[in-house]
Amino acid sequence: MTTRRVIVEPRGLASLRVRMLVPLLSILAALVVGAVFLSLTGNSPTEVYLKMVDAAFGTNRGIGETLISATPLILTGVAAAIAFRMLVWNIGAEGQLMVGAVAAAGFAIAIGDTLPGIVAVPLVLVGGALGGALWASIAAVPRVYLGTNEIITTLMLNFIAINLMNYLVFGSFSPWRDPESTQFPQGRPLPDSINLPEIADSLGRLDFGILIAIGVAITAWFLIDKTPWGFELRVVGDSPDTARYSGIGVPRKILTVFLFSGAVAGLAGAILVVGILGKMDPRSLDLGLGFVGIIVAALARLNPVAVIPVGILMGALNNAGPALQSIQVPTATVTMLQGAILIFAVAGEFFIANRIRRVRRPGRTSADVPVEGAT
Amino acid sequence: MNESAIVLTIFAAIGLGTPVVFATVGEIITERAGVLNLGVQGTMLVGAVSGFWATWVSGSLTLGVLAALVAGGAVTFLHAFSSITLRVSQIVSGLALTLFGTGLATFIGRAGETPLVGNPSKKQFEPIFDGAIAELPIVGPLLFGHDILVYLSWVVVAASSFYLFQTRFGLALRSVGEDPASAEAAGVNVNRVRYLHVIGGGALSGLGGAYFSLALVPSWQDDLIGGAGWIAIALVILASWRPWRALFAAYLFGAAGRINFTLQTLQIDIPSNLLAMLPFVLAIVAMIILTSGKRARLLGAPAALGIPYFREQR
Repeated sequence: MTTRRVIVEPRGLASLRVRMLVPLLSILAALVVGAVFLSLTGNSPTEVYLKMVDAAFGTNRGIGETLISATPLILTGVAAAIAFRMLVWNIGAEGQLMVGAVAAAGFAIAIGDTLPGIVAVPLVLVGGALGGALWASIAAVPRVYLGTNEIITTLMLNFIAINLMNYLVFGSFSPWRDPESTQFPQGRPLPDSINLPEIADSLGRLDFGILIAIGVAITAWFLIDKTPWGFELRVVGDSPDTARYSGIGVPRKILTVFLFSGAVAGLAGAILVVGILGKMDPRSLDLGLGFVGIIVAALARLNPVAVIPVGILMGALNNAGPALQSIQVPTATVTMLQGAILIFAVAGEFFIANRIRRVRRPGRTSADVPVEGAT
Repeated sequence: MNESAIVLTIFAAIGLGTPVVFATVGEIITERAGVLNLGVQGTMLVGAVSGFWATWVSGSLTLGVLAALVAGGAVTFLHAFSSITLRVSQIVSGLALTLFGTGLATFIGRAGETPLVGNPSKKQFEPIFDGAIAELPIVGPLLFGHDILVYLSWVVVAASSFYLFQTRFGLALRSVGEDPASAEAAGVNVNRVRYLHVIGGGALSGLGGAYFSLALVPSWQDDLIGGAGWIAIALVILASWRPWRALFAAYLFGAAGRINFTLQTLQIDIPSNLLAMLPFVLAIVAMIILTSGKRARLLGAPAALGIPYFREQR
């Protein structure tokens, strides 16, 4: 009697084909799931998907808006990718982005028109990054020195940051609030000189933020994959024990990466503030950008360079959402698709890490039983 | 504050806390099995919209509750499958579930010719006792003034506490969360235990969501539940993975919300945003003080929490 079973075995490095195919298939599978829900609710999936493609890439302006949406996602994606690779579970990019925005706006308002833009803008961006790093340190320091689980602390810090941001504009008369706005509180507009310039008229309001984001992604990749410092980081990520025995200062490495991750997320908030928003606007900063960044990182398999195209794809989805309202389809379709893509990408990870084979039960030699289907 | 104001506050705290009780106990059961589920927020929203929808089409609250339980369990199956069978990162998988669930719930609420969103519920849970017993001073409202789901939540807390600490199944569950390899050696089917409790925990979260849409708010709106799912994750730590403590933690959270409201009506200016931070700040402080290193064990954190179990690699 032939009994067969499926065995799962870990494999080493999967081939490039498998590594590319799995994310693409997960996107495809998510589109299928989305199509099922769209059909069930009486919509035409092809019409909806074509509309989304058109909104995201159909015009120069659309492409500009897609890249605007992609900018913070690339940065929060890089923030998650570098941390996760080191087994630092920083899921606080959301809050670090917000505090980065608060810090950047604070610096900008404090500087005022005293400095020329070319000096002030970089200062403000650095200030935002510092804000993000500072917020991350609240979780990073206990993690490194006390062993406190950073998953929960970074998660909780997100909600503290949301309330902090809202408090500064909606709950108090802080310097962040526009003193002119009494009935409907708003963020105080930044000084005119502190503004990221736009790239080209044809691309609408797209500013240099996208180039900064791409630069940061490439720099992060270079640092981690091409330098001795990055090699040590990867050792810590792959095997903390090995790192310890070979004399790498593990706590210090973890702290550095944690703060760097927070700084990159903070930079995302700063770019939004000095770029398209022009003020610290809580409503435009509380959009789940940090959480989507985690999807971006997971889909990019924690490779900072791969984060760039994935970030643009997610930016395209975000940008396409509002366009769906014109054909009476809920914007939430996009969130659903993003969640589904992530679920499939996560599941796909299994097929990258493991090989699945069907084998006969052990205890028989191949001569005993004919191979099914071989004849 | 006079006596009746205190009673009113506690009464309101029980109402506001009840959805969080269900979700927190659900997450405690999940985490006791060694699985971290960050999908609670999405699961609660799916439960809320499913329960609302089922009551909307059938006119039956019972069917609404059943739909919420089933829907909560069903979406949580995704997390169970990824984290137990596929053994992928529980963090990423859980966040994916929250994202997917939030999108799905909003989508269900807004899709179709006559969307559910913005409608009041066709039926809603009402207090089950009336007459003299409910009008007794103090104990009337506090013990006999609630709808049936509040009493159900007490039953769930008592039963899950008994189950966890007094039964053979509870022992097996806790052993799976502490040391899955030893549990397996002792004859416990680790994966089956994990599947059952992760999905059961998800069903409870779904029910917690439905408490919003069928009792507390009774209506459906996008993001109806606020951040209740995240609060539940914070309260699991504050309750140190114990159901009875979760009940009181959830009521404290409810009281904070109510006091916030009372202060506003009295025009006492404690900014609501700062008060809203409180549970999260407390959770972080508790994490740092209590769960660092060895003390985490005293607190009751399952040792294998968040770690995938590789049977073949034992």
